[in-house]
Amino acid sequence: MKRRKRFRKSLLLFGFIALCGVSLFFAQGVGQGRYALSDSLALFHPAGLPLSERTILFAIRLPRVVLALLVGGGLALSGTVLQGLFQNPLVDPYILGVSSGAAFGAVVAILTRVYFGLFTVPLFAFLSALGTAILVFRLARVGRRIPLETLLLAGLAVGFFFSALITLGMFLSGENLHQVVFWTMGGFWNRGWEEVKMVLPFFAFGVPFLLSFGRELNAFLLGEKAAESLGVDVERFKRWVLSVVSLLVASCVATSGVIGFVGLVVPHILRLLGFQDHRLLLPLSLCTGGTVLLLADTLARSVIHPVELPVGVVTSLLGAPFFVYLLRQRKRGL
Amino acid sequence: MRPYLEAVNVSFAYHEGESVLSGVTFALERGDFVGVLGPNGSGKTTLIHLLARLLPVEKGTIFLEGRDIATFPRRLFARKVAVVFQEIPGRLDLPCFDVVMMGRIPYLSRFRRETKADEEAVLWAMDVTSTLPFAEEPFSELSGGEKQRVLIARALAQKPELLLLDEPTSHLDVAHELEILNILQNLVRLGITVVAVFHDVNLVARFCEKALLLKKGLLCSFGRVDDVLHEATLKELFGVPFAKVPHPLSTRPIFIPLGERVLKQQRGWVHLICGGGSGIPVMRLLSEEGFSVSVGVVNRFDSDEEMAERLGFPVVREKPFSPIGEEALREALELARRADAIVVAPTFWGWGNVANLDLALRLREEGKPVFVFAETLRKERDYTGGEAQEKLSELCSRGAEVVRHLRELLQALERRLWYNA
Repeated sequence: MKRRKRFRKSLLLFGFIALCGVSLFFAQGVGQGRYALSDSLALFHPAGLPLSERTILFAIRLPRVVLALLVGGGLALSGTVLQGLFQNPLVDPYILGVSSGAAFGAVVAILTRVYFGLFTVPLFAFLSALGTAILVFRLARVGRRIPLETLLLAGLAVGFFFSALITLGMFLSGENLHQVVFWTMGGFWNRGWEEVKMVLPFFAFGVPFLLSFGRELNAFLLGEKAAESLGVDVERFKRWVLSVVSLLVASCVATSGVIGFVGLVVPHILRLLGFQDHRLLLPLSLCTGGTVLLLADTLARSVIHPVELPVGVVTSLLGAPFFVYLLRQRKRGL
Repeated sequence: MRPYLEAVNVSFAYHEGESVLSGVTFALERGDFVGVLGPNGSGKTTLIHLLARLLPVEKGTIFLEGRDIATFPRRLFARKVAVVFQEIPGRLDLPCFDVVMMGRIPYLSRFRRETKADEEAVLWAMDVTSTLPFAEEPFSELSGGEKQRVLIARALAQKPELLLLDEPTSHLDVAHELEILNILQNLVRLGITVVAVFHDVNLVARFCEKALLLKKGLLCSFGRVDDVLHEATLKELFGVPFAKVPHPLSTRPIFIPLGERVLKQQRGWVHLICGGGSGIPVMRLLSEEGFSVSVGVVNRFDSDEEMAERLGFPVVREKPFSPIGEEALREALELARRADAIVVAPTFWGWGNVANLDLALRLREEGKPVFVFAETLRKERDYTGGEAQEKLSELCSRGAEVVRHLRELLQALERRLWYNA
């Protein structure tokens, strides 16, 4: 009985990973407003292609596809972990003020026109995001504990403060307004292998780390006290999780801007579909988040060719009704 | 040898200066079953959390097996001590087997899968709590009693030596409550030490071996249930008087909270002639209806005497199994003269108590209203060969009123004492 269940779980996980692969294969074939099977198949034998085509497929299209996959997966995984940790359905990866912090850093970089290489804006965004996370963390701490309420409120307050600064920046930005607005919307315009390289180390370190917390997060389902009575060092666990999530999310936001919805709703969709065991839920949300964001981006760049929509618009426009549909069907709340 | 679990002078405060527990000291032996009792806010839950190391002891020390619990590594402590909390988690859709498996966390390293031994521990825990039938069902779909059993199984999967429970029966109906207590008793038989907070005095009185009474953060008393649980200690603990009555099927007593008796307007004084338990319903009725009652003459250890004692009525007594003597009769006469009416309960008559009828006759002659239950007039109730019957009919001919049942007695009393007065 037990073995069959384990087999089913493995099968399910394999299915979701396959889904990721299939969507990557598909997305690679989409360009210039149409789908070409030959472009997808080119993934398997890149050598035989003319140089110009190879550049388009492997230097422009593929990094973008990979980045969308990574960022989507990272955000959804972070959201799932934080919701599990705080036992609260309203928590999202930006709870520590990372989004507004990153946006503020980017705006500063754009407006002050400091420039030391291609990475200036993402670097500013990343550092500012981390700084904000640390600030919120410090503000929220009560003695040695980090209660959820103070964390939410501190994140909110700091977020508002930075939002005001961002708005002020926009107001004063003059001809750079366009650039600033585009950055804050979030998306994968003109992202290449450099961005992937920037995100990758955080993923290589953070994702396995977070995935290994399934059992502890399950214990949190029984309540914080119960988790503690099972020998989990609750406060230390919180600090570790918050630190790793902050790094991961900061790297996502720094490279692709503030993309909402995925980190909040993908975990809920999976829970509504009946996955509650974090040992399965965590890898599933990683795969689903990646797939969702990849498909959304593919749609965003092809639906009204040659115009590209911001990816956040697509995720929310399609995802929100689907989410509401699921919610109404289950009617048992989150 | 050091006791198994020892609390020495333990104090705790959530906020500076507002201590929730202060100077609590006690020691438990391995295999004890301890019930913690106390009014709301007395620090029961705090005590459980301190013993479980979920709160840091502020002053004093708690020793487990002679070692300060603060010095245990977390996972080792979680293998020795398990807790069942008061709140039942909502929104937990995992199958019960997986919920119980969470109890193995202190045994599992991060990247290790559950082994056969873990699975066996879970199956044992579910067997002991009879939760195996719903191992595959989602936790959220169980009833309250089943959920609580699964949570106990979850704690048992930790293979603890000490099990702490915070009001494990507070959400449950009577049948499930008893089920949980039977499970706990079985665990104690297996050698597990159990400390549980209860709301209900009688659960502790009936099932626990020891009781720990807390009031306003102070340890009122601690010891064997028979030594600690009394009307007096309970009244001190809860501020409400209790009656202690024997359990019909057990040697353990039952405690009934009496509350302050609501006194109706004082309705007069009735002297009751009874015996052999015949006066008990009459005394209950009269006391409920706000009458003062005096009783006599009855033999010592008669159930009527005990009842009168419990209700705090004045009683005139004769030695056990002895006929009523002159002195007692005189005393009863003096007492009853001050009463407003005399009631003769539906009792039996023999040579031991027939003198009570002389008392009634004498008082009737002096003009007291007398009420006699019809049942007591029957021939089968007379074991004096007709003498009692004779006296009773004389009593009736002199104007004593015959009543058939309690309700009628009450009406008759009201009529006499209120409208004729």
